[in-house]
Amino acid sequence: MKLWNLALSNMKGSRSSIISLFFMIMIASILLNVSLTIAIKMNTFFDNKFEQLQEPNINLLLDRSDEQQVYYDYIKQDPRVAASEREAVIWAAGRFSYGENDMSIGIAVQQAEQDRQLSPIKLVEQSSEPEVTNGIYVPYDFKLNAGYQLGDSFTLHIDDQSFHYTIAGFFESAMMGMHNTGILKFYLPEEQFIKLEEHTADHGVLYSIKLQDSGQITGFLNDFTGEFPDPPGRSASAPLFTTLDSDIVKSVGSMTINIITMILMAFALVIIAVALIVIQFRVSNHITEGMNNIGVLKALGYTSYQVMLSILLQFVIITLSAGVLGAAISYLVLPVFGSVVTTLSGLLWSKSFLPLINLISIALILLLIVLVVVMSSLRIFRLPPVVALRGGIITHNFKKNRFPLDKAKGPLQLLLACKTTLTNMKQNLMISVIVTAITFASVFSVVLYYNIGKDKTAFIHLVGAETSNIMLQITDAADYEQILTSLEQMEHMTKVAVLDMTSMKVDGQSFYMNMSDDYSKLNNQLVYEGRYPKYDNEIAVSWVVASALNKTIGDMVEVEAGELKSNYLITGLSQSISNLGQMTYITVSGAKQVLPHYEGTLLNLYIEGVDNTSFIQQLKAQFGHDITNIIDVTDTIQSQSKIYTSAVFTVMVTVLVITFLVVVLILYLVIKKMILQRKKELGVLRSLGYTTFQLMSQISLSFLPVVVLSVLLGGGLGAIYTNPLLSVLLTGAGVRNVQFIINIPLILFVCIALILLSYVISFLVSYGIKKITTRRLMIEE
Amino acid sequence: MSDSLIVTEKLCKTYSSGGNQQHVLKNLDLTLQNGDFTVIMGASGSGKSTLLYALSGMDQPTLGSIIVNNQNISKLNQDQLALFRRKHCGFIFQHINLLDHMSVLDNILASGLLVSRDKKNVVKRAKELLLKVGLLEKDWGKFPSQLSGGEAQRVGIVRALINRPQIVFADEPTGALNSSSSDAVLDILSSFNEHGQSIVMVTHDLKTALRGNRVLYLRDGVICGDLSLDSYYNNNREQRQHQLQAFLNEMGW
Repeated sequence: MKLWNLALSNMKGSRSSIISLFFMIMIASILLNVSLTIAIKMNTFFDNKFEQLQEPNINLLLDRSDEQQVYYDYIKQDPRVAASEREAVIWAAGRFSYGENDMSIGIAVQQAEQDRQLSPIKLVEQSSEPEVTNGIYVPYDFKLNAGYQLGDSFTLHIDDQSFHYTIAGFFESAMMGMHNTGILKFYLPEEQFIKLEEHTADHGVLYSIKLQDSGQITGFLNDFTGEFPDPPGRSASAPLFTTLDSDIVKSVGSMTINIITMILMAFALVIIAVALIVIQFRVSNHITEGMNNIGVLKALGYTSYQVMLSILLQFVIITLSAGVLGAAISYLVLPVFGSVVTTLSGLLWSKSFLPLINLISIALILLLIVLVVVMSSLRIFRLPPVVALRGGIITHNFKKNRFPLDKAKGPLQLLLACKTTLTNMKQNLMISVIVTAITFASVFSVVLYYNIGKDKTAFIHLVGAETSNIMLQITDAADYEQILTSLEQMEHMTKVAVLDMTSMKVDGQSFYMNMSDDYSKLNNQLVYEGRYPKYDNEIAVSWVVASALNKTIGDMVEVEAGELKSNYLITGLSQSISNLGQMTYITVSGAKQVLPHYEGTLLNLYIEGVDNTSFIQQLKAQFGHDITNIIDVTDTIQSQSKIYTSAVFTVMVTVLVITFLVVVLILYLVIKKMILQRKKELGVLRSLGYTTFQLMSQISLSFLPVVVLSVLLGGGLGAIYTNPLLSVLLTGAGVRNVQFIINIPLILFVCIALILLSYVISFLVSYGIKKITTRRLMIEE
Repeated sequence: MSDSLIVTEKLCKTYSSGGNQQHVLKNLDLTLQNGDFTVIMGASGSGKSTLLYALSGMDQPTLGSIIVNNQNISKLNQDQLALFRRKHCGFIFQHINLLDHMSVLDNILASGLLVSRDKKNVVKRAKELLLKVGLLEKDWGKFPSQLSGGEAQRVGIVRALINRPQIVFADEPTGALNSSSSDAVLDILSSFNEHGQSIVMVTHDLKTALRGNRVLYLRDGVICGDLSLDSYYNNNREQRQHQLQAFLNEMGW
């Protein structure tokens, strides 16, 4: 009880610093609870969703005309398959309005009323009107990211035909429910479905396969495509089977969420570190200032352990109350990040109460704080009462009179501020560490936002997309050479590059294979070590593939497509987030070793001085018969990257707001303490005739050098280490070498804003001295 | 004959605490003359220091006015008071109050350079004054913690005089010093007073009070005695001591 009283009396004397500490621990608790909850729930989020929505592990799509009975028979007879379904669908390259842009993507249109065991339609919202004319059911992602509402009109463009519908409902689906996996599905009522089927030639079949064990996906797909390879002469960009599996869906859906979670967690740790530094500072000050009291307590018979416990107890009280409140508030904040998860995955985030995570978060923070308090108060044990009663051993170690006023150049206020700065080195070190850390975090988040929200080139390259303007798919029958020459001669055309993708076996394992006539033409140079292949016996592989094959640059690999095999020399290692980072690259001439009839069919066009839409019209007019599909790449990238922009924006705002709060809290804490400690000195200066403004300027200026240096240090570290740190964070996603644009003016802007903010905050907090009269400043301790 | 330096009219100072009001100064009408060495005496709690701080613009009166050089300082705000103090006043404190993290010279220049931008002359004057109070060049770079009490108070005096103030206010300047240091400090003050420096000093020490040529006695916030004495340098010290002793006895000291 007496310790409790001592702890309470300790707390009474320093209300403002306790409040700021309380807020800091609360913020740390909120961040830690949110990030841990998301991290732990994300582990099972997709698996639970797949279970809940009865999703298959694999979707296989093919043209109905290509279907053979043996395909589905094979699936049904495979012992690894737990359940399967076959369904007639419309399988086409579709285009529609998505947000402010158009999106071109592979679409599978299914019949809404059909009975399904796998992936039954699960509507999140549906029109209350019993019969919607021309109704269509679209993924929930369309509401979240494209702004569609029930009853909105929706136009689907397939093969130059436009089909007009009204949105009758939004459904939730893990497979083909999110555009970032490259395929989207829609549902049409029977009547509309039949009508669409009559008007298009894109009749397809969808196989949905549920395996006994989701770990068998790769094995099953390898065996299936091995059993039924693409027939010779088939265009590489239009394989027989288009596949989508749950591993890809999880990987694509969780990548950004994982990055966000990691950033939040890292930031929570930064805040905890800040709180720990502040506590260390406070305990240390408490002991120094309360030395006499400690002496009295010891003289009265309190043991060192009891004195330390009385100090510890106050921090335990603060931590527990702030930690619990933070955990409670995290439940209010979680929906914000839940909606980010929903935005990125297209799947609904459900609220849940996770007391164990809350307990772990609070216990973690408490443990760290107890450790710091105990470490900082160990010197109490070394203090005999008599020494403590004498105020401890205070040695004045003024080796040098810094900034002597008779010699130093500069305004008096500045010189006095410099003296103060050098006198409070310990405190300055604390501020320096904190400001450096939060500047780094701010720069990191701003760089992230700049690259994902503003200049997206580096991010798009990271994802693996080629940033051409238009993608043109030509028919197999077209004269490739002639079209290529004509294209290159078109006005506004800067370059044309072939970039096809298919699936091939490399040393017996299936991987995605890129094929280009000249990789040096591509804007997105993904090889980070060595080089892209130049000759027909060369290959570049991603480091994920290299690791899987246990090969590296200079080794040979065997590539197999259908019945033909050939050996290639690895010339480079690449990185890519897409397709789980499993990428390989050969030249068009190299591809002919295993696909003798192969000609490039997917052409990337790079134009200048003309808008994409009018150029597309021009292409249609000139090459109409030879084209199977045209994609406005700029538009597609713009619409697809929107979801990342909003997610990263949320993170950036969170980090910046917390940075602001931390700067305010820290400066408030330190300056309040400083005013208390320097009360007498400030009183003397006032008696000498210094005005409140001059004293406020002096206090603010005294923080400026350390703030400026720390902000510049944090900014510099942010500029240098954001890419390496992102590379580490994204290793699991297939990235080794992130090359985000480090926008120096933007970083400088953040740094200057932080410096100004610190100065203004210092100035405002030090305004508190105005309320104290000169005499009170001097006589009150 | 000296002219008026400070005039107070109906000067009141009241402190409020927890609903209780304590009237420390009550309707004081007082005139202090230029060039005087005025000593304020009284028992503990009589309002000596409160009067000193009010006269010097360190604290604001509750009621009444304080006119210094025809300027009513009781109407000034904190910052205007600061400007007033730096121009017209010098302070010497009982606990000296040097700035710990500054050297001897910097402690003086922190005040001197606040008023004058002529650094060369301010530094020159500071050094001259330091030599005058017996602090040699070897001491100028020292920090307050490296000085004796007497030395520190001499620095305090130089700091108070650096801006050539019209009035030096001293709040028990020898209260924390030993006998020899006290004498040295008082000698310095007397010597400056002899050269025309107005000084207002609070003390409860008879020997210290003897340095003044006017002694005011305060009781319960009211001036109940006002004694004029010959100058300290008029060689009639014994007579002055008798006069003061009699005055204080009359005041019930």
